[in-house]
Amino acid sequence: MKRRTFVKNGAMFSSGLLLAPLARGQAQPGAAAIVQVKGASPYEITKKAITEIGGMGKIVSRGDVVMVKPNIGWNRTVEQAACTNPEVLRAVIELAFAAGAKKVVVMDNTCHKAEDCYQRSGIEAMARKAGAEVRYSDENRLVVHDFKGEVLGKWPVFRDFLEVDKFINVPILKHHGSSGLTIAMKNLYGILGGNRGKLHRDMGENIADLANGFRSHLVVVDAFRVLMRNGPVGGRLSDVELRQTVIASTRIMQADVAAAALFGRDAREVEYLQAAYARKMGEIEISKVPVRALSV
Amino acid sequence: MDAKKSKRLQRLRILSQIFFTWLFFFLLLKSGGAAIEDLPHTGFFFYIDPLLLWVNLLAGPFFRAFLLALIPLLLTLVFGRFFCGWLCPLGALNQFFTWLGSRRGRKKVAVERNSLRLKYLLLIVLLVASLFASQLLGWLDPFTLLTRSASTVVLPGANFLAQHAMQSGAQSRGWAGKAVKPFYDLSRRFLLTVRQRTYLQASAIGLIFFSLLLLNLRRRRFFCNTLCPLGALYGLLAKYSLVHLPLNENCLKCGACANHCTYYGSPYQDYLKSECVLCLNCLNDCPAAAIDVRFQLPRKGQRPALDLGRRHILAAAGCGLVAAALPQIGVEKKSKAHAFIRPPGAVAEKDFLKKCVRCGACMQSCPTNAIHPAVFQSGVEGLWTPLLVPLNGYCEYECNRCTQVCPTYALARLTLEEKKLFKIGTAVIDRSTCYTYADGYNCAVCEEHCPVPEKAIRFREVEVNNFRGKTKKVKQIYVVPDLCIGCGICENVCPRTDAPAIRVGAEEEQRENPY
Repeated sequence: MKRRTFVKNGAMFSSGLLLAPLARGQAQPGAAAIVQVKGASPYEITKKAITEIGGMGKIVSRGDVVMVKPNIGWNRTVEQAACTNPEVLRAVIELAFAAGAKKVVVMDNTCHKAEDCYQRSGIEAMARKAGAEVRYSDENRLVVHDFKGEVLGKWPVFRDFLEVDKFINVPILKHHGSSGLTIAMKNLYGILGGNRGKLHRDMGENIADLANGFRSHLVVVDAFRVLMRNGPVGGRLSDVELRQTVIASTRIMQADVAAAALFGRDAREVEYLQAAYARKMGEIEISKVPVRALSV
Repeated sequence: MDAKKSKRLQRLRILSQIFFTWLFFFLLLKSGGAAIEDLPHTGFFFYIDPLLLWVNLLAGPFFRAFLLALIPLLLTLVFGRFFCGWLCPLGALNQFFTWLGSRRGRKKVAVERNSLRLKYLLLIVLLVASLFASQLLGWLDPFTLLTRSASTVVLPGANFLAQHAMQSGAQSRGWAGKAVKPFYDLSRRFLLTVRQRTYLQASAIGLIFFSLLLLNLRRRRFFCNTLCPLGALYGLLAKYSLVHLPLNENCLKCGACANHCTYYGSPYQDYLKSECVLCLNCLNDCPAAAIDVRFQLPRKGQRPALDLGRRHILAAAGCGLVAAALPQIGVEKKSKAHAFIRPPGAVAEKDFLKKCVRCGACMQSCPTNAIHPAVFQSGVEGLWTPLLVPLNGYCEYECNRCTQVCPTYALARLTLEEKKLFKIGTAVIDRSTCYTYADGYNCAVCEEHCPVPEKAIRFREVEVNNFRGKTKKVKQIYVVPDLCIGCGICENVCPRTDAPAIRVGAEEEQRENPY
C-alpha cells in the first residue's frame, strides 16, 4: 500500500468510525442507498461505489473477520466474464482492511475444478496480493444449516461462511440460461454444498429463500464486463459487452433489481426476483428503486 | 577393489537411484499439477524405453523422440544392466524393499535358473504377440507399470492418508493443532488435491503393485529377476557387454559376495553377466577386496549367461501366437456398438489398442479425474487402456493435457483449439428419467454447464401436464448433436442420484471413420 493511500484510508476509516453511529441512525428501512458507478477502472469505480453508499466503515467493524464471496464458478478468464473481476475484488478487500477487518477470507464452491477456476479467473493471485486468505471449499467442513424458507429448509453449508462476522457478496452480472440472470442472490449458491443441482427444481423459490435466510451485509455487483448470452459459462468473447459499471448496496434484492435493469431486463420477468418480492425483500419495479447513478 | 572405493561406488549407485526415483515422481506430479498453462516434458522415462520404441515402430508413425531409447541400449553394451541397477525407478523401489527384507538374517539360496529364465520367455511371448496386432507390452513394462500404479493408486492413496492425518491434526485445539496447521495449509496449497481422486480398478492395480513390492521381502528384486521384459531385453545385450567383475588373487573363496547379490549369484560362483545389475553389493560384502570392476572385450566362453533352451524359446513363441489370437476372436472385435468413450484425440480403436501402452499418464494429467483404466470394455487386450468416465469427471473444455502427455500418441497431440472441436461422443437425453420430461419440472443444470459457447444443450418452453395433473410451463432440455463435443460435464452434473438422465455415448465419435 502506498503511503498516500494508507493516510487516505486511515482518514476515511477514522471519520467513518466517528460518523458511523450517525449514519446508522439516519438509515431508514426500505430506502437503502443503491449506487451505480460507471468508469474506466473497475478498481476505482468499486471504491467510489462503496464510498458513496456510506463507506465500508458502515459495514465492517474493527476486528471483524470478513468473508468476501466472489463468483469463481468457472474455469474462465477475466475477458470471458464468467467470474468476478479481480480488480473489483481487490478494491473490496482493501476497503475491508482499511475499515479494520482482522481477516478477509475469499472462498467459493466452484462448478469446475476448484484449482483451475481460482487460478484462471485471476482471483486467487489477486486476493493473496491484497492480503486476503484464499480458501478452497473443503467437504469435511460442511454443516447443515436451516434457512427456514418456504421451500428451502435444511441444506449443507460450508462452515467457513457461518463463522465470519461480515459477509460481502461480490457477484458478476451475467446471463443465465434457466433463471434468466445470475447476480447476487444466485451467487449465494456458492456457500452451499451437497447435490446443488437438486435446487434447480424450484429455482426461483430456492434462490429467494437462500437470500432471505442468509444475510449479505454488503453487495457489490461487478458489471464491468457483462456476459449477455450463453451464460453462465460463456466462453465466446463476442457474447461479452463492456458496461464498465459497479453497483453497490446493502440490500441484496435492490442490487439485483438495479443490475437486472442495467442488463436490460425487467426484474418482473426474473422468477427468483418475483419470489423475493413475494417474500417482501424489496421493490421489484425499477422506478421505485432509488438508484443513484454516477460516473467517474 | 579396496573397501573405500567400493563403498563410494555403492553410495553413488544409491544416490543415482534416489535421484531417478525422485525425477520420476516429480515429473509425474508435475503432469497432474494445478497449473494448466505450463506442462514440462513428462515423457522422459518413456522415450528412453526400448520396448516402447518397438511399440512405436510397429504401430507407426515413427517419432524421433524414441531414438533416445537407443542410448541405454548402446550403453548396455558397455556397462551391462546398469540401467536396471542405477536408473530404473521401479528397480530402485524393488531394491529398497529387498534391502528391507535383507535386514533379517537369511541363508544363501542357490540361483534359480528357471525363475530367472521366465522373464526372457515372457519377453518372447510379448514380442511375438505384438507382431500380430496385440500389444501387451505395457502390462509389464516397468515404466508403464510404475506410472499406472503411481497415478491410480500410490498418489491418490498418499493424498487420502496425508489429508486425513493432517486434517484431524489441524482441527485439534492446542499446540498440536497449531503445529500441524501451517503444514496442512501449505500442502493443501501445493501438494494435496482439493478433491480426493478416485479410480476405477484402483484396488486391483494396487493389489498387484503392492504384491510385487512385498514379494521382494521373500525374493530379492523379484519383479526384476522374474518378470521384467525390459530387464530381459537388457539381459540379452548385457551378455556381450564390456563390464566384468573378475576376482583377483586375494579371494578367500568364502562366498560372502553372494550375501546380498540381487540374483542370488556372485562373482565367485554362478556369475551371470546377463543378470548382474551392477548394484555392487558384492564389492562391499567381500572381506578381502578381491573383486574388481574391469572393462574388457568378452572372449568366447567368457559370456556367462543363462541358457534359454531352444524348446523353451519355441514354446514361448507359440504362447505368443496364442496371446495374439485370443483377444482377436472376442466378440468386441466385430460389434460396431460399444458402451465406452475414450479421451480426446484418441485414434481409431484398432490403432489405439496397438499404440496405447496402458501407462496411465493421461489419467494422472486429467484435472477432473475423468480418465480411468478400463476393465474389459474393449476386450481382454483393452485392459487398463484409458476410458473417459463422465460419472466421475468430465473433459475440461479449457484443457488438452492428456493429449500432450501421451508418450505414444495413442491420444494424438491436439492444440487447445483443436481439442475444443474434437468430438469425443454425443450426449443423449433419457426422457424417461430427465426431470423436465418425466416429472414436469425445471432443472437445466446440464444446460448451465454446457461449455460449448453456442450451447449444445438447450431448452424449449412447453406446456405439460405434470404428475399432479396440473398444466404447467416447463423448460424441456434437448441436445444439438452437431454442436455437442461429448465432454460429459452434463452427465457429470446431472442431479439425479440413480443414474444420470443425460449420458455421453460413442455415437458420432470423431476417432472412428464414418464409412
